[in-house]
Amino acid sequence: MRIIVDEARCEGYGFCAEAAPHLLELDDEGDLKVLSEEVASGDAAQAEAAVRVCPVAALRLEP
Amino acid sequence: MTSISEIPSLDLDLFTDDVLTDPFPIYERIRNAGPVVYLPRYRSYAMGRYADVRAGLADWESFSSARGIGLNDLANEATQGMIIATDPPEHDQLRDVLASRLSPKAIRELKADIERRADELVAPLVRQGAFDAVNDLARAFPISIVLDLIGLPQNGRDKVLGWADAAFSASGPPGPRTDAAFPLLEDQLAYLSSIEPDQLTPGSMGRAIYDAAAAGQIRQESCVPLMSAYVTAGLDTTINAISNAVWYFAHNPEQWDLVRQDPTLIPSALNEVLRIESPVQFFCRVATREVDVDGLRLAAGSRVMMLYASANRDERKWEDPTRFDVRRNPVDHLAFGYGMHGCAGQGLARLEGHSILAALARRVERFEVGAPVRRINQLIRGLDALPTTVRPVAETA
Ligand code: HEM
Ligand code: SF4
Repeated sequence: MRIIVDEARCEGYGFCAEAAPHLLELDDEGDLKVLSEEVASGDAAQAEAAVRVCPVAALRLEP
Repeated sequence: MTSISEIPSLDLDLFTDDVLTDPFPIYERIRNAGPVVYLPRYRSYAMGRYADVRAGLADWESFSSARGIGLNDLANEATQGMIIATDPPEHDQLRDVLASRLSPKAIRELKADIERRADELVAPLVRQGAFDAVNDLARAFPISIVLDLIGLPQNGRDKVLGWADAAFSASGPPGPRTDAAFPLLEDQLAYLSSIEPDQLTPGSMGRAIYDAAAAGQIRQESCVPLMSAYVTAGLDTTINAISNAVWYFAHNPEQWDLVRQDPTLIPSALNEVLRIESPVQFFCRVATREVDVDGLRLAAGSRVMMLYASANRDERKWEDPTRFDVRRNPVDHLAFGYGMHGCAGQGLARLEGHSILAALARRVERFEVGAPVRRINQLIRGLDALPTTVRPVAETA
């Protein structure tokens, strides 16, 4: 499974990074960095939580 | 056999004084009747369950905003071209201009100033001991912040608030309340049209809109509608959130104790206030094609009320939804909408809300409130007055 950020929609709320610290991070500039696009099976729940909390639906999971 | 795909019809009036004062029993009936119901009085549909509202908001290709988000043709006509009433690609161009000034990254530098303003407002009110939490606190705060950020000239500012409230109510169903509100929406647009770009503070959010038009990023005709988005969306919503917070904390003192003891709960507490008393009750979408809503067939062209306020109390989603619990942290509530049109100002709204709650938590031990006066509005829910007395925290008394 992969986690994909739609950069045109992402506005940097960072809720996703709080939900999935293994996968996503807001850098010092306030921009979202994908730490690991590939979601390890142990992180699947984190990835789903991140997708769920993004207020502008900028994240999606792909098989 | 016919019943399986038939949408239940409910002959409800959602806009009486009684319902606008307490809409929650009617929302529950709508949720229990089905994933989507038909409301013949408005020749419209309504979705009240969390999962369906959220899925509908995410699917902007099936549920368009471009035919207006209100319940009457006049308002849907008058709001053409405003960001909330657009679809991509137009929407995304407008959104970029707003997000460049409203995104969390863009407002980081405002944090210290807004926190200072919150302290300066709250400290004297607490010393005074008694105040109106709506007028003196909830209104005073966003008005000074948002109108300064937009960079509006001083004259005319006093009228902006009445207009903003009406700009929401004008999107209700045809009838006397809508007729009364509509001219005020027109006044607001006329006032904004009369402002010359160089009257706006250099560097302000308002000026940035005109700069974007000058740079060819957006059309010149988009400037006034975008200004209107700031003035309308940025005021009563936040005002209602702040006064609702005081009201709920007055009635749930043990929840206030939790926040005071652990201020890291403030973001969760604000989310919970927004969930349980969503300032925006609904906006509409129009189905662009036949859509399957949880097994019910919704015809193309159907206008659907997306009941955010109902979704936020859906017992299918929330455990004990009428309980106010600052530890719930309902991050995925729909009070800011969701998806493409999800509130562009939520970073600022949260910053304002967090700053006010933090300033209060440092100084107030207990709120006591008298009977609230409700402000009747067809789209947004909030108070008009809330007589409040506070017991200060010992050290700052
Ligand atoms: C607690 C305060 C607020 C609440 C509850 C709130 C609620 C909402 C909701 C429900 C929407 C969704 C519209 C839709 O689904 O069609 C929205 C959109 C919007 N809000 Fe807010 N809002 C708040 C504060 C603000 C502030 C402070 C600003 C700006 C200064 C703002 C600007 C906007 C704009 C520009 C949109 C349109 C976004 C778009 O169509 O892409 N809001 N808001
Ligand atoms: S929550 Fe959404 S908008 Fe915010 S940083 Fe994550 S992907 Fe971007």
